[in-house]
Amino acid sequence: MPTTIFLAPPRRALEAPSAADVHDLARLFGRSAALAGITLAVEPGRCIALLGPNGAGKTTLLRVLATLLRPTYGTARVDGLDVTTNGAQVRERVAFLSHATGLYGDLTARENLAFAATMLGLERAEARQRIPEVLDAVGLRSAADRRVAVFSAGMRRRLAIGRTILGRPSLVLLDEPHAALDADGQALVGRLLAGWREVGVTTLVASHHADLLGDVVDGSVTLANGLVTEIAGQGVHGVTGAGARTDTGPGELTPLRGAAGS
Amino acid sequence: MSRDLAVALALARKDALAELRGRVATGTTLFFGALVLLLFGFALGPDADRLRQAAPGLLWLAIVFAGLLAVGRLHESETEDGALEQLSLYPVGRHALYAGKALAGFVAMLVLGAVLLPVMALLYGVDLASALAPLALVLVLGAAGFAAVATCYAALTVRMRSRELLLPLLVLPVVAPLLLAAVKATAGALGGDPFGELGAWLALLAAFAVLMLVAGAATYRFALED
Repeated sequence: MPTTIFLAPPRRALEAPSAADVHDLARLFGRSAALAGITLAVEPGRCIALLGPNGAGKTTLLRVLATLLRPTYGTARVDGLDVTTNGAQVRERVAFLSHATGLYGDLTARENLAFAATMLGLERAEARQRIPEVLDAVGLRSAADRRVAVFSAGMRRRLAIGRTILGRPSLVLLDEPHAALDADGQALVGRLLAGWREVGVTTLVASHHADLLGDVVDGSVTLANGLVTEIAGQGVHGVTGAGARTDTGPGELTPLRGAAGS
Repeated sequence: MSRDLAVALALARKDALAELRGRVATGTTLFFGALVLLLFGFALGPDADRLRQAAPGLLWLAIVFAGLLAVGRLHESETEDGALEQLSLYPVGRHALYAGKALAGFVAMLVLGAVLLPVMALLYGVDLASALAPLALVLVLGAAGFAAVATCYAALTVRMRSRELLLPLLVLPVVAPLLLAAVKATAGALGGDPFGELGAWLALLAAFAVLMLVAGAATYRFALED
């Protein structure tokens, strides 16, 4: 598989001192807190692992940064832009790979990427050039004109990863990127993380498996019950431990336990 | 081409492709519309004059009922494997997404109308030949207004379990003025407009469509948000 695709720099260079930062961030579902008040800042160009068990708050944190969830309390910013008030500008910088692939089964792999290219604002000529490159990079060139409905879970995952590459984002949020992938696919994720770091793209990777991330990761944040329990390595700073929230303490909130997809 | 227009066209094209490839659903919706017309015909009995008189109203009821299925389905395809979530992640204006979905709904309504109009003519013995141009105009304006309303509510209800029930409950009261104007305009067009009211009903249909499109574009983002 070619590696040049991974070297494409982001379309927008990050300008703020932190690629992503959250302050006193809490996200409640009813009276249960998926995030109970966390404070973190990630330096631009770093690859940071989010670790922790199910229900720790990893997915919720990524979804808040991707503008899919609003913070209940506190703030979350991407490149200095508040995700609540500057959602449109944040989305120009972020790519998010979630558990669901967001693909259309009735369209082919190539048509799915062409649709994404238009939505991501790629010029037609650029899209024509990059779509075959992306299909090559994720190992789906031979299946490019097959409908996604007949793809295996792993192939769908690869195509979703391809869509993440396509838009040349500045901040990539990956939620369990190794899920449903075979050994080749897992190696692809590793190459991708290394490539993104090389060209200055910031990545936040939620995973249960720190071993699969290898030495690509600069630093890690461990979450448990909606709180940061450990920060290790370089490129990420924050506050650890309970009591991070200052206005309504986490004692008033019931952390989600064992929630699917944390 | 502006970015918003490109986004809207890409979304409508994607929906059209998906619909064409899932022909069963399209065919079923068209068949449902025709079946409604047939059953209304049975309910009214064999009196030809009575059927002709009721034809405009029955036609638009069939279009609206089948249209609810068609527009609802356009949004249901977005629930497949997190597609709606992915759609809301793209850096595009929500009004452009609305325009794309409404355009797809508009085309679906036009197809419905184009199929059900001759079916109605055949079942109820109505002569369309002399009124094709005004009927086409009524259909275009009615389809635009209906798609404008139903697109917004379909996005709002698509993530709810009882969406099939909620969508008609929300849409039907709002499209009541459209239904009235479309029926009156269709009757006027078929009857040669003896009272000169056709223009006024067409104007009402156009105003309704414009108002609902503006309101839909302004509010669609709330349907996509957390």
